[in-house]
Amino acid sequence: MLSLLLLIPFIGALVLVLWPGQPTPGRLRTITLAVLFLQLGWSLVVLSRFDPGNSAMQLQESHQWVTNIGLDYKLGVDGLSLPLVLINGALTLVSAICTRDISQRPRIYFALLLVISGAVNGAFLAENLLLFFLFYELELIPLWLLIGIWGGANRSYAATKFLIFTAVSGMLILGAFLGLSLFTGSVDFSLTPITSERLELGSQLVLLGALLVGFGIKVPLFPFHNWLPDAHTQASTPVSVLLAGVLLKLGTYGMLRFCLGLFPEAWAVLAPGLAIWAAVSVLFGSLAAIAQKDMKRMVAYSSVGHMGYILLAAAAATPVAILGSMFQMVSHGLISALLFLLVGIVYRKTGTRDLTVLHGLLNPERGLPFTGSLMILGVMASAGMPGMSGFISEFMVFRGSIVAYPLATLLGMVGSGLTAVYFLLLVNRAFFGRLAITPATDPVAHQRLDVRLAEVAPRETIPAVALAITVVAIGLLPAGLGRLSETTSTAIAQLPALVSALQSGGLG
Amino acid sequence: MPIIPAELVHSGGMPSAAELEAKLLGSETLLANTPDHLIEVVDVLKSYGEVLDAYSTNLIFQAERQFLLPFPLFKYLDGDNSPARVWRHLNHDRINFEYAEYCMKAMLWHGTGGLDAYLDSEPFAANCAAIIAKKTRRDPLLALLHPLFPGFLTELIRTAATTHALGQFWRVMSDLFLDLARAEADGRVDSIDAVVEFIKDGLVAAAADPITYGVEVAGEHLWVLPPEAGLTFLVDVAVPYVEAVFLRGMPFLGTVSFNAQAHQISPDQAQFAYGALFADPLPSMGSGIPPSLLMQDMYRHLPQRLHSWYHQRTRGEGDVRVKICMSFQKSMFCVTNAAIRGTFPHPLGSTDPQARSANRAYAAAWASRLGVARTDCLDAQAPVA
Repeated sequence: MLSLLLLIPFIGALVLVLWPGQPTPGRLRTITLAVLFLQLGWSLVVLSRFDPGNSAMQLQESHQWVTNIGLDYKLGVDGLSLPLVLINGALTLVSAICTRDISQRPRIYFALLLVISGAVNGAFLAENLLLFFLFYELELIPLWLLIGIWGGANRSYAATKFLIFTAVSGMLILGAFLGLSLFTGSVDFSLTPITSERLELGSQLVLLGALLVGFGIKVPLFPFHNWLPDAHTQASTPVSVLLAGVLLKLGTYGMLRFCLGLFPEAWAVLAPGLAIWAAVSVLFGSLAAIAQKDMKRMVAYSSVGHMGYILLAAAAATPVAILGSMFQMVSHGLISALLFLLVGIVYRKTGTRDLTVLHGLLNPERGLPFTGSLMILGVMASAGMPGMSGFISEFMVFRGSIVAYPLATLLGMVGSGLTAVYFLLLVNRAFFGRLAITPATDPVAHQRLDVRLAEVAPRETIPAVALAITVVAIGLLPAGLGRLSETTSTAIAQLPALVSALQSGGLG
Repeated sequence: MPIIPAELVHSGGMPSAAELEAKLLGSETLLANTPDHLIEVVDVLKSYGEVLDAYSTNLIFQAERQFLLPFPLFKYLDGDNSPARVWRHLNHDRINFEYAEYCMKAMLWHGTGGLDAYLDSEPFAANCAAIIAKKTRRDPLLALLHPLFPGFLTELIRTAATTHALGQFWRVMSDLFLDLARAEADGRVDSIDAVVEFIKDGLVAAAADPITYGVEVAGEHLWVLPPEAGLTFLVDVAVPYVEAVFLRGMPFLGTVSFNAQAHQISPDQAQFAYGALFADPLPSMGSGIPPSLLMQDMYRHLPQRLHSWYHQRTRGEGDVRVKICMSFQKSMFCVTNAAIRGTFPHPLGSTDPQARSANRAYAAAWASRLGVARTDCLDAQAPVA
């Protein structure tokens, strides 16, 4: 059943590549959309078969593959991975929908989108460490190509930087997995929580450190965030949506699943430091966002800040905090995808994202009023306004972490306040005032410029509207998502306690 | 950052004051003579004429029939208080008479010309005293108010007088603009210069028309602006109107807000430059911004030819009010041009050095004020394309 979540996109990519003749970009897009609708539909089928009351892996599939090296094809889904699979299905679909006017190698472009989506599904569903690593690496090359071929003017630089950073991340993760095998003397790479029980604390700390840096690069957390703003700035809108909405979640998913899941004892030791690291990342991301002049870079830095909350919650590792971190993954995926979509619309219509030249885009007759309204909704959600998903996730993260790490949580709250600061700066500069899209060299002439932006067709905003509705729906009715993940998050949160109990013989 | 495509922004040329002065003295039109400009100006003035007809009727109704009413709830209904009319009004299927009142208040506040001088004169005070004495005899509320606030009723009568005078002015202008549309349809007007000449002739013909205003109080006719005050159309109402509405205006809240404490607004009211000729056609369209009310009204009466012309440009129906405002500004430059042409102190062809010098000074004074107006709409490649 879960294999179909991999097969649908991979076979779809194959079909695209092998489609006879010279299909038009429109035809290729239609095929891609059909495949992605099918994938999303199947994700919903998986959701319907999922038992939220069971914290163990469900709907498991297991096949032997290269048993000698410990690589088995084992898939399973739980309350941590299922929301991310759903987000992956939805956001890849959004990416394909908002891909328009693609003239350069459309066949390869859409095939790569599908490969990424399949690989991400594989990574979220893998129950074998090597299988996870395989899929983790598999999405790397398509994304590198998507940035490097269809990106902006400085795309080669950004793509190479992305490749180097993420390759290092992959090496560290692989190193840690192999190290685990080395230290335990076993070639069993299946995902069994608390494998580390058989390890010395020192070895655990080394392996956990490697994993933390590896996933910290992918998340990204300060100071490993350097690749992200460049990648976002040069990537096209659909790729940014995918990158922020889905691919960064591989990092946070890895932290919860492999760092906390495999090494709860070492995690408990490092947790105070991790909380401070999270707070520093939040503050750095927020302060850096304030300084940005490029709308897309600002949204990218806001990602650095908001992903820090997930580490904070993971450090606290209380049931509420872990549930909050899951909410934050979903919420950040939706909100950042929404913001990147809207920035993309602004860029397509005005030819710039420069906050020093964009003004008054809310102008109802000549500007982009609906896009601006959605942007205001998006930034309010990102700043954690009640009634939207950002509030629920941040509130739960703070509520779950404040007792364990009050200082780090308070600093995180400051970061949340700073989100309002930089996003209000963005909205105030770009959307309020007199409509303008050029630098004010002569103030008198500038006030007299006749700005003729093309109208935003309703169909162009459909993906953004859908995301905005979801953001509000989760904000108003968070119970559904909560029910889905609550059991799993409680189980994850109990891991450190379980380890102590095991060590003290409490369970014996 | 990629370079912003050139077609997204258009910057009209801004002629210097010297160029404007040369055009005025050379009997050239300020607005370039192009077929597109002719369609815009004639058709927008036609819709403006129809709106002015409604404004004029209502202002005269307010001044005569709602005179000194403490609560003029039905002042916008022109005396038709039927439920159907009230429903249409509440449903906003109506002309925005608030804009007409805004213009009246601009005239009253800026207070230039003969009408304002008369409103502060002794004879006017005597007229007011007679009217108030008559009115307070039968109206207990006014009888109570007047001793408590002695200046209040007089100020209301000043407002009513300005309202009526503006109504009379717009009556003439409405007929003139509708005549212009007919003349253009007949082929008598086929260029921007002919438009300016037509308006100038109309203004000159009406220049000496008397402006009078009387009210019925308790069955007795009393003068507010009597014939003997000698107020006339051009000097006492038209010129103050142009000064107050076209040039000075008010720094209302729009997309650009002004901070008086930061000296963004001149302390000298005569230096104000917020009028129709200076207004930004890209308002935020929030409620209560007067020029956008006018654009809505003109939109209701837009001739088919201009409407389809707008449809072919920029966002079609989507930004039609902005395009109306741009066309309106062009037409107002034509009206200003006609007014200047008609009020030169001496004939432009005069060879007398003193007359030429006086004309030059007159043209220079206008050119310096218009030099900072929205003259970017005047050239041949002007916006709305």
